Amino acid sequence: MDAFSEELMGFVQKDNQVEASKDPVPEIHLPWLSQHIQSTGSHGQKGTNFAQTTSICLNFIQEALLKHQWQRASEFLQCYLQTLEDINSQKRQMAPEIIWKLGSTILYNHPKSNVETFSAFADRMKNIGVQNYLKISLQHALYLLHNGMVEDAYRNLNQAESWRYGEMSASQEKLIKLIQAYRGLLDYYTWSKKRTEVSSFDMDGFATNAATQDMHSYFRQASVNLHEIIKIPGVWDTFVKSYVEMLEFYGDQDGARQVLTDYAYDNNFPSNPNAHIYLYKFLKKEKAPEDKLISVLKILHQIVPSHKIMLEFHMLLKKSNKEEHHKLGLEVLLAILDFSGCTENITAWSYLAKYLKQIIKGKHREWVQEGWSSRKDWWPTFHFSYYLAKKNWKENRILALKKAFTSGILLGKGCKYFMYVSKQGHKIREKSIKTMKKFVMKHNILDSEEH
Amino acid sequence: METSFISSCLDCKLLPQNSAPFTKNLGLLLSLIFLSDPWDPELMSQDLLFRGRVKQPARAKATIDVIEQLNHFLWDHGDIAFGPLGMLLQENFNLGEKKKSRKNKMVMNTEWLLRDLNGYQPKGCPWAHLSTRQRRFSLLGGTVLGEEVENLLGGLLHEELETRWKRLLLDEASTGGALGWVPGAKPHHGQLVYPTGRAHDQLNFQKVKLSPTNEPQALGDPSHILLRGPVRQVVTRTIQGEALVAVRSDHHCALWKLEHRGPPEPLQVLEMEKEATGISLSPHLPGELAVCTRSGAVCLWSPQHGLQQIHKDPETFVFKDPSSWRWADFTAHPRVLTVADRTGLRFADARAPSDCGELLFRVGAEASCQRGERVLLAQYLGTPDPLPLSPTLHLVCTQFSLYLLDERLPLVPLLKWNHGLLSPPLLAQLLPPPYPEAPLPLLLGGLGGHLRMLHLSGSGRTPQLAAPPQSLPSLIDSLPGFPVLEPHGQQLLQERLRAPLTGLAAVVPPGCPSPTMLLFQLSAAGDVFYQRLWLQPDTSSESAVSEPSAVSWKPRAVACCRRWLKTLLQVPPTLPSWTPPTFSQHHLRWLKEENKGKVQEGLRAAMAEGRLLLQGDLAPLPPSDPPPAHEPFGTEDKLSERLEASWERKGAIWWDGQRDGSRLPRKRQSREKRRTQLSSSFSSVRSTSDFSDVNSPLPHPPKTPSPLHRMSETSQSLELSQELWVKNIPRERRQTLRDYLAVLPSPDSGNCSIPQFQNPSSQSLSTSEPGKCSVPCSQNPRTQTLFSPLPESYSAFYSQNPNSQSLYSQNPNSQSLYSPEPAFNSVFHSQNSSIQKLPSRHTPSLAGSQPLRKKPRMGF
Repeated sequence: MDAFSEELMGFVQKDNQVEASKDPVPEIHLPWLSQHIQSTGSHGQKGTNFAQTTSICLNFIQEALLKHQWQRASEFLQCYLQTLEDINSQKRQMAPEIIWKLGSTILYNHPKSNVETFSAFADRMKNIGVQNYLKISLQHALYLLHNGMVEDAYRNLNQAESWRYGEMSASQEKLIKLIQAYRGLLDYYTWSKKRTEVSSFDMDGFATNAATQDMHSYFRQASVNLHEIIKIPGVWDTFVKSYVEMLEFYGDQDGARQVLTDYAYDNNFPSNPNAHIYLYKFLKKEKAPEDKLISVLKILHQIVPSHKIMLEFHMLLKKSNKEEHHKLGLEVLLAILDFSGCTENITAWSYLAKYLKQIIKGKHREWVQEGWSSRKDWWPTFHFSYYLAKKNWKENRILALKKAFTSGILLGKGCKYFMYVSKQGHKIREKSIKTMKKFVMKHNILDSEEH
Repeated sequence: METSFISSCLDCKLLPQNSAPFTKNLGLLLSLIFLSDPWDPELMSQDLLFRGRVKQPARAKATIDVIEQLNHFLWDHGDIAFGPLGMLLQENFNLGEKKKSRKNKMVMNTEWLLRDLNGYQPKGCPWAHLSTRQRRFSLLGGTVLGEEVENLLGGLLHEELETRWKRLLLDEASTGGALGWVPGAKPHHGQLVYPTGRAHDQLNFQKVKLSPTNEPQALGDPSHILLRGPVRQVVTRTIQGEALVAVRSDHHCALWKLEHRGPPEPLQVLEMEKEATGISLSPHLPGELAVCTRSGAVCLWSPQHGLQQIHKDPETFVFKDPSSWRWADFTAHPRVLTVADRTGLRFADARAPSDCGELLFRVGAEASCQRGERVLLAQYLGTPDPLPLSPTLHLVCTQFSLYLLDERLPLVPLLKWNHGLLSPPLLAQLLPPPYPEAPLPLLLGGLGGHLRMLHLSGSGRTPQLAAPPQSLPSLIDSLPGFPVLEPHGQQLLQERLRAPLTGLAAVVPPGCPSPTMLLFQLSAAGDVFYQRLWLQPDTSSESAVSEPSAVSWKPRAVACCRRWLKTLLQVPPTLPSWTPPTFSQHHLRWLKEENKGKVQEGLRAAMAEGRLLLQGDLAPLPPSDPPPAHEPFGTEDKLSERLEASWERKGAIWWDGQRDGSRLPRKRQSREKRRTQLSSSFSSVRSTSDFSDVNSPLPHPPKTPSPLHRMSETSQSLELSQELWVKNIPRERRQTLRDYLAVLPSPDSGNCSIPQFQNPSSQSLSTSEPGKCSVPCSQNPRTQTLFSPLPESYSAFYSQNPNSQSLYSQNPNSQSLYSPEPAFNSVFHSQNSSIQKLPSRHTPSLAGSQPLRKKPRMGF
């Protein structure tokens, strides 16, 4: 909000000049500021009639769009086209993009619009000015794809790719890459269609050979483009998946692994749990050694401890020979149950109940205590409250039993949850209650601490 | 099937272009609660901004009118402005005390100066005469007094105006909203929690009964609790069957537990040194809260475990931003919070507090943010109920866009939408689906009252927009639904409906035959409105031709609105926010003896009752000349004539009459005009020679001529320009010129404001004894009537006015907010045991409860 102090320079010049020069903070931009200033009446730039009418018109269009009055919006848009001839060069340059955004939204939603209209509009808008050609082409292609017109979309992307204007700017380059990537994705689509065709073919060698060749050429086209895009930092899940699938098909396991490893571990890329999952799945399919799988999942555990693949991770750790892995196995389970989305995950609770039993029998009580120490101040209310005992018992008895066992181990026999469930279970003569009670009496960590 | 909500509060007859493809919906609007105070429109940009022509015309810039404001301040609060300086100088002046001897050379005897002042005629008096002593004093002391005041006051005022202006542009205090809904034990019952009162310091709990088909009903009076500060934010949450209400005030945060029966039980109150900026209730653990303050600290707070500081960093996360606003919310993990500032959002882990958690969102390239974009609101969208959406979603709003983020995939937003709101989006709420597998409505509310609704579908667990976003009718859109009122009433209603939106609570009543949603809105004026929205199948794909909108108000809603309107119109009209003090104590002293007793009596009675002093309380005014009549050909006259005629539907006749007989008057009028133009141009030349940034005065004939004002201005300019004259004009001609100037009609009053600022010494003289102007005063009885400009007496008038109380008994729906609530007495007593800082039962002092505009806070 230093804009304000700058604006006051007319009055207090020297002070603010010093302030403005020493503090080059980007200012907050408030879109409603001009309104505030205009409301003071005589002050501020009045603007020409032209500017006023266009801005009013724009407001009408936006209002109509937000009220889903597509017809009304389209009528106003016809008038709004006059901004293309604005005297203000900045506004004139902005105009095609605004018109495209409004127009495409209207045509996308208007009940009477069809693909032809949309395409005609897009083709027109592409060629007004040069800045928006690529962007509009890409969006046009996506629209066509949305309507199932893959070939048209492909042609469109092809056309856009070959389009050049002057020297390529950085933004243009990015867009071209993206267009190429989408073209690559469409190539992949054709490729995978061909693949199913070839596999279903039961023809002579010649036809199969030709089809395979054809397929291969698609692969080459696609791989070039997809390879390019996944070098740029970003989230490219779809592109990576299709690229890896093609590489795998042609037996390039090393290449595929390399792509996935880079995608998961490159620090320039934003943190993306999917990347680790793809890598894990790939390695699992490859039958990689368990240590390797565990190391991949360990990282995923650090990023997203609540992922459902963590249950698999727990099983892996349980099976492992190393003691530290066993210890981690408990932590993984507890971490899953930390999350609000997993509180009623019955698999996790039953794993935990079973594992706790196993650990206590294996004389590793200190692991439980260690894991419990950071949770003991909030798990009782989060998982083992009286309210939840009643609710769980009513909704899912098995869950309630598993939770009651865990609560008994962790909190002792005096725990409300445990008491409620064992009392209810006693009433209906649930068999497992007795054994559970016996175990809890003997092995809960609370009592063992006191001893 | 794509679905969407639509509604309208508009009567289709009144709004012809209402041709939405979705129709057949009924919307209604009802005010449940009505605030007793006349709605006082907030500070406007007009009050702060410089209105004249600014020198740099290239860009539209906001320039705050410090000089004008300072000038007003010096005039109105001379005692505050010059008092401290006077105290400092007191040692050096002998004001008639005997102890101070003349031996001390540093002491100046002011006996004669005071004597001169005693006969002092205020500015504007044509017979004003300055003694040499006075002139000397003002020349010597003027610079000192002036500079001090300019530096000290100017700096403070500048700072104050700057904060006001910032608040006007972005009032971040109300982020999050101050209206909460607490579902009750029965499915169709609940409570609304919201603040009312002039200072927003009264927290109300209004029980409401919902109905699947009819409009909601307020059950009984709201119970209320009086707090010590304004309520900025109300958060409600029901976890594990426990309904909790958390309230944020500027320096306090408090937590209540709502029982199904009985009054709310206060749990704990937290006092903060720095202003609190955000509070949120944990969706996981009952009674756990996250609180953040302007110091940059974020704490986890629960009544059982007390406070735990999780994060403290006075610096902003991503880049340096001057704003100290912070916000905290929860995540899917109960021990991990998100902390937001204007530049981004980051995680803070309660298990291992550190200042450098991972960033969830930053204003930058990943989200392709615009220049100058800042975070205004951040909200965790997960709830304990299993939703079709993943419980890891977060909402971030900036002044341009809305972002949805998944905490598992930080920095890269899943969804971005340009909301196009022309006011800061400070309110947001995600609702449960109206029926299973329907998209989830996400509401976004701007401070200006604009609402947006998005439909999020969670197919495949990634959020998607199920339908194009919609705007919902704002309060002002319901204006055509009200009966046509007189201009005054219409304006009142409009202002009331345009009051900033400070709270939003939407409810999807369970078990409705047709999916519906209720939307409660709290305005800054203290009204709670609601509208009901029906879910409709999306018909847009079938036909473009829109059916006529079949929107109308239900009869009960109409009746309710009329009642509300009636009460609103009964509130006495607000007085002009400020009128110059014209009450003259001096005048009272000069009254004849027999009147004096009566006047004192009246004064005492008025003071005892704490009401306004009315003309009737004083003695009949001293006989005086009748006030000068209207200028016969002034514009007002014609206007009022024409208005009168058109009220009686004789506008056309009046017009014809005017056309016929307009020639002669027009001539006279133009002559009149020329005269005023001449004189004012003269004065403008004079003043601009001294002060280059004075805007040229608008020639307009004085309305009701007020000799007091007019003359003061003239004589003032006389004094001011004296210094210049001395050099150029022969001594013998000065008096003549002075006399001539004194007789001149005044220029526009706006002109003189700046000279006053420039010469505070003469100011101090004039304000020290404002009442000694017997001659001009008696000429104009109007200026003597007491329009008490003081805010204290003003509000006292309303709170004690028996009329305003009786409003409530007339209106069954608007509840008596002021009537003492017996149930709450016990609450306050029971609080003693558990609360550290009690919300006091004292009515807050009136000065504290005033909107700040009335009483500028200057740091004295």
